[in-house]
Amino acid sequence: MGDILAKYNLFAAFWMTIKLSALGAVGALLLGTLLAVMRVSPVTTLRAIGTSYVNVVRNTPLTLLMVFSILGATFTLGLSFSDQATTNAFIWACIIIAVYHAAFVCEALRSGFNTVPQGQAEAARSIGLTFAQSLSQVILPQAFRGAVAPLGSTLIALIKNSTVAAAIGVADAAGLMKTISENETGTLGVFGLFAIGFVILTLPLGLWFTSLSRRLAVKR
Amino acid sequence: MNARRIGAAVVATGLAVGLAACGGGGSSTGSGSGSGSGGTIKIGIKFDQPGLGLKEGDKYTGLDVDVATYVAKKLGYAADKIQFVQSPSAQRETLISTGQVKLVVATYSITDARKEKVSFAGPYFIAGQDLLVRADDTAITGKDSLKGKKLCSVTGSTSAQKVKKDIPDVNLQEFGTYSECVAALVSKGVDALTTDNTILAGYASQAQYKGKLKVVGAPFSTENYGIGLKKGDTALCQKVTGAITAMISDGSWQKAVDTNLGPAGFKPGPGNPPTPAACS
Amino acid sequence: MGDPLVLMKDVNKHFGDLHVLQDINLGVDKGEVVIVIGPSGSGKSTLCRTINRLETFESGTITIDGRPLPEEGKALAELRADVGMVFQSFNLFAHKTILENVTLGPVKVRKMSKADADKHAIALLERVGVAHQADKYPAQLSGGQQQRVAIARSLAMNPKVMLFDEPTSALDPEMINEVLDVMVELAKEGMTMVVVTHEMGFARKAANRVVFMADGQIREQSTPEDFFTHPTSDRAKDFLGKILTH
Repeated sequence: MGDILAKYNLFAAFWMTIKLSALGAVGALLLGTLLAVMRVSPVTTLRAIGTSYVNVVRNTPLTLLMVFSILGATFTLGLSFSDQATTNAFIWACIIIAVYHAAFVCEALRSGFNTVPQGQAEAARSIGLTFAQSLSQVILPQAFRGAVAPLGSTLIALIKNSTVAAAIGVADAAGLMKTISENETGTLGVFGLFAIGFVILTLPLGLWFTSLSRRLAVKR
Repeated sequence: MNARRIGAAVVATGLAVGLAACGGGGSSTGSGSGSGSGGTIKIGIKFDQPGLGLKEGDKYTGLDVDVATYVAKKLGYAADKIQFVQSPSAQRETLISTGQVKLVVATYSITDARKEKVSFAGPYFIAGQDLLVRADDTAITGKDSLKGKKLCSVTGSTSAQKVKKDIPDVNLQEFGTYSECVAALVSKGVDALTTDNTILAGYASQAQYKGKLKVVGAPFSTENYGIGLKKGDTALCQKVTGAITAMISDGSWQKAVDTNLGPAGFKPGPGNPPTPAACS
Repeated sequence: MGDPLVLMKDVNKHFGDLHVLQDINLGVDKGEVVIVIGPSGSGKSTLCRTINRLETFESGTITIDGRPLPEEGKALAELRADVGMVFQSFNLFAHKTILENVTLGPVKVRKMSKADADKHAIALLERVGVAHQADKYPAQLSGGQQQRVAIARSLAMNPKVMLFDEPTSALDPEMINEVLDVMVELAKEGMTMVVVTHEMGFARKAANRVVFMADGQIREQSTPEDFFTHPTSDRAKDFLGKILTH
């Protein structure tokens, strides 16, 4: 195992996984929040768009979306971010991870919305806050606090799902694992090494989110 | 040594001795295999590699399938006694060492790293890394004419690693499977696909790509395809080696190559047909 | 004095098949304190909530200070800022401190500076007697304290009229008076108030008029004295008989 660590740059590969996950997570949080707001908005059309998005994206395999971003979007539709294939693949991978997990962020937040009593919105409107102000000052902050635990699960799933980016050639942990098992023969040791790497990434996050959800819980 | 004579000897003793060894090999083929008629043999192949190992419905086709079938016959298993098991690249060593398959015939290049985990019989074919381009492309003639071109290969594959090393600023798009690279090549998203010429020939020979794609024919590496088996099982290795030798000498090898890789005009590169190495 | 501050004209509303507000006509003058009373399900809470359009209505008009209630949107938000609302279940913002609860409206809606809003809020919290709890969160306060904060939160907007929707119904008995005392003070200072309540003591002490509702209709209205001693309708007599037997 020592020679594998010496021969391959595991750190660079996991750093790529972290970058991919971080950018994907930020995108997913923004888009997911927007979708959640659409799904609870009083406008029927927005609600319908939000619902359709979640149902379509959530039920599409991530690998399919990932491959489509290159085969479909880049090659057929010409939506390319860079002439360099690796740069283009990285940007698309971040976008696809964000787009895919936004559906899950939306659902996590919606469960958070359900923890906010109706009276909170009525009180907000009663003091003259607009819909946007009620949302940003009263409803969303409480919804986020109520959704910390499911959002944490979504983030952990996102980190693990980011390995799918190897399917379009992003040099992340999963890509390096393929390289190593191609060269050094696939052994449980190599898989174990990468499994440990992901546990190191996700386990502290899980613990942190658990304590965060306890600390941020809104007392009623 | 006279390969034919060794082969004949192996076949002669194979039925009596070899199958008993097979039964004792701890594989999941069952204890009844000693008779040579009741048992089945499990062989690992690729399921998704046209021209080499392809599963369509319950039909298996390809050079690896034909080699596997021939070798199995020599080991005493009729075609209907073969159970093909899907063997993705990363799982080949595990499938062998845990006894889930007896043999692996799956574009399996003989390398020193792999020899530490499994034993090889063969090579039964010498492949080389080459380029697949669109049929009307005359600009790409080999590895050195790839400047400014977009190349495609499979994430982490030996071929992908080699072009990254040999061509420092290569513009390489990687996918999870070769089929995606072929689709990208046809839709002009990439200009060339690189991997073993056998695999390339297999795609070029597929009915839907006939006349659209061609193998450049300037290999820049040597891949010795071997048949993987349990490490240290010299008896089995010798029998398989004998079978390969027999296949080459009785013309079945050439026939299998022509049927599976020939349709797109592919000719095996130098060194073919190979002489299998001695088992150690 | 001109038109009433709050004017409801021929207001109708249904909850499905239930006709909860039937041709409601009600005016509330500036400085007037109106008590709305009636059996449960009579529509009194709905009437109160319709005045700042927390409940929509199907026909009729409601004007506040001469302006008809606009559709949901920015204009309605502006109008709501002038109409204070106190709920049965307090509805303090659970994730904000007491002080933040009171300053949110002035800062976000009135565009007051944070410092001014804080000063104003502390003064109001002192007035309702909970200034020492300013940095706590709602869940740390008793029900009576929370309701007094809710009143301060409404007052912080300098409303033209205040609506109280059963403000003491969710309180333990020993806390009712601390809230009613604040409301009596408000009434004495001339605040225009519409109060849905069963508190007879408060009605006698502070109200100018009692409106009795049953089955979605206003059945009778008169001074508290008259209403409690000489109710005219049978429904009112029946209702008073039930709540005054103790």
